[in-house]
Amino acid sequence: MVDNRFAMPTVLIVDDHPSFRASARRLLEEEGYEVVGEAADGTDALRAARELAPDIILLDVRLPDLDGFAVSRRITGPGCAGNLTPDVILISSREVDEWGGAATEVGARGFIPKAKLSRRTMEELLT
Amino acid sequence: MSLARRPLWVLGAAGLLVAAIETPLIATADFAPDRELWIVLNWVIGVGFVLVGIYAWMRRPENLIGALMVATGFAWFISVLGHTEPAPFFTVGALFDSLFVGVAIHLFLSFPSGRLESKLDRWLVGGVYAAVTVGFIPYIVFWDPATMGCAGCPDNVLLITADASATETAGDVLAVVGVALLLATFARLVGKWRASTALQRRAITPVYAAGGALMLLLATLLVLELAGSPHGVIEDVFYATMIPFGLVPYLFLAGLARAQMLRGGAVGELVASLGHTLAASELRDALARALRDPSLELAYWLPESEQYVDSKGRRVELPGSGSGRAASPVSLEGRPVAAIVHDPLVLDDPDLVDAVGAAAALALETGRLDAELRARVEELRESRARLLAVGLAERRRMERNLHDGAQQRLVSLALDLRLARASLREDPERAEDLLDGVGEELSRALEELRELARGLHPAVLTDRGLEQAVKTLATRAPLPVDVDTRIGEVPEAVELAAYFVVSEALTNVAKYAAANRATVRVGRDDGSVLVEVSDDGVGGADPAHGSGLRGLGDRVSALGGKLEVDSRTGTGTTVKASIPCE
Repeated sequence: MVDNRFAMPTVLIVDDHPSFRASARRLLEEEGYEVVGEAADGTDALRAARELAPDIILLDVRLPDLDGFAVSRRITGPGCAGNLTPDVILISSREVDEWGGAATEVGARGFIPKAKLSRRTMEELLT
Repeated sequence: MSLARRPLWVLGAAGLLVAAIETPLIATADFAPDRELWIVLNWVIGVGFVLVGIYAWMRRPENLIGALMVATGFAWFISVLGHTEPAPFFTVGALFDSLFVGVAIHLFLSFPSGRLESKLDRWLVGGVYAAVTVGFIPYIVFWDPATMGCAGCPDNVLLITADASATETAGDVLAVVGVALLLATFARLVGKWRASTALQRRAITPVYAAGGALMLLLATLLVLELAGSPHGVIEDVFYATMIPFGLVPYLFLAGLARAQMLRGGAVGELVASLGHTLAASELRDALARALRDPSLELAYWLPESEQYVDSKGRRVELPGSGSGRAASPVSLEGRPVAAIVHDPLVLDDPDLVDAVGAAAALALETGRLDAELRARVEELRESRARLLAVGLAERRRMERNLHDGAQQRLVSLALDLRLARASLREDPERAEDLLDGVGEELSRALEELRELARGLHPAVLTDRGLEQAVKTLATRAPLPVDVDTRIGEVPEAVELAAYFVVSEALTNVAKYAAANRATVRVGRDDGSVLVEVSDDGVGGADPAHGSGLRGLGDRVSALGGKLEVDSRTGTGTTVKASIPCE
């Protein structure tokens, strides 16, 4: 759970489309998040998660190497981020009903369609 | 065969004439014993060999067996001269007393193919001929019949000096050599018989048995002579040798008659079984029975694709020489229909193969049509599967393009629009910047969507027709393209296939050909739309590799058309499609 009373929550954006990463970064920074890093594939995402220890990871389902479900399972599984397990939010250009409840099965907090990304939708999932 | 027929009958008449002339000569030769018997032997053996030999010769002119039988008959006539009174005749008869045995050995060792198949056989026959010709010279020049126990015999006109001991020595040497050659021949006959297959044995056993018996009896005769056995015993053994020898032409004839009967039966049975409709496997079995070859296979000819296929429509190759199999083509009204693939031994009776082929031609034509249909179905099945796979891959590619392209841009637009809206009051300048970006992104998304839609179905084709669509493709190509299109109205499916041929071919030219110029021709000919795209590039394109050209081939063949690619290295590439369009 994010506590933004003392510091801006940090976010890692994982998506293979630079245009989306740029738009998402603008939006999130505008809405009071600190975007601490970006990753374009699953391998990069795992490394960045370890090194940057963000509070939240926005993780695209469809990545060029590993898929977002596998990455989420590894990040939220034992031993990756120690005790500071980040909140993983899966994102996709698809709608929620296409993925069903798959997000929580892989340790993620939930799923947000990319077009509906906002502080409000994120907080709804995280509270 | 018609050319050879006249001289062969002359040869037959000559044989009869010689026998007729020799008959009174034998009858009046007072010195000779058993004259009546010799006259009978002369007609039964000499004439028998000549006439049966001529029949065999006419039947199979390429096989030397007939000629060898005729030669055996005439060699016999020469040896019989030794039973006639005129001294020159008598001498020639004595000199060539055993020539007929030599020719007969040649006949046996080359039976039934007419060829001496091994080096050993050729050496053996050479040795036998030498023994029965030049081998007799040392004997004849010392042999004086009067002093050698035949007081009433005619004179030996080749006598140089009468020498009883030299005559005996020459005779003994000849006998020893003779026994060796006869036993070697016997061994070869046994060896050849044992090496033959069941199919061959049916044909060769009677003649080989007679030949083997003749060799053993003649060897016995020579051993008895060497041992100085009583004249009466030797004479009895000699007459015994005449039985297997005299039987040879008649056994040969009986073998032919039996084969003919079997052939008649086999063909008759085949014709009867063809009376009702046969499944492909039943037709094969019926032919296998008729040719007595269980390994028989059928290959059907497909004239359109110029290949042989099996009854399931799968491509097969005919056996080449040295493969241990043989193929006999079958035609119907001058058109090739099928090939019967069989054991080469079946060709020992080529008439049977011809008769079976002729009897089954119509049924084979039915089988051929069936196989042709199956081949087409198989081809269709394969191209349908490929088309399906191409379609699926295309859908996956399109989904990926949509996802990575327009969809991502629209998602970003949604976020940016939201941000612009939020900034509108507090920071209108930023909102303006964001909206400018949104405009640009929208244009890019639109262009990507247009590109995708063109891949699905080129709008220019619907709006402006094939000619204009091809011209558009040419102007979009990164190299000069000469276009010549004269096509008019064609069905949409044909138009689309032709468009994609040009599009894919020009894409390949741009990607791989390193060409300076390309030419596109689209026209109509004889109920087909012809599309040709050629370039002056490096060539070397292989339609078997690369899904693009194969996908095109499938698209074209789905409409019953054909795609050809000529791309020899260094001569550029020409892609030609012909699509039926009535």
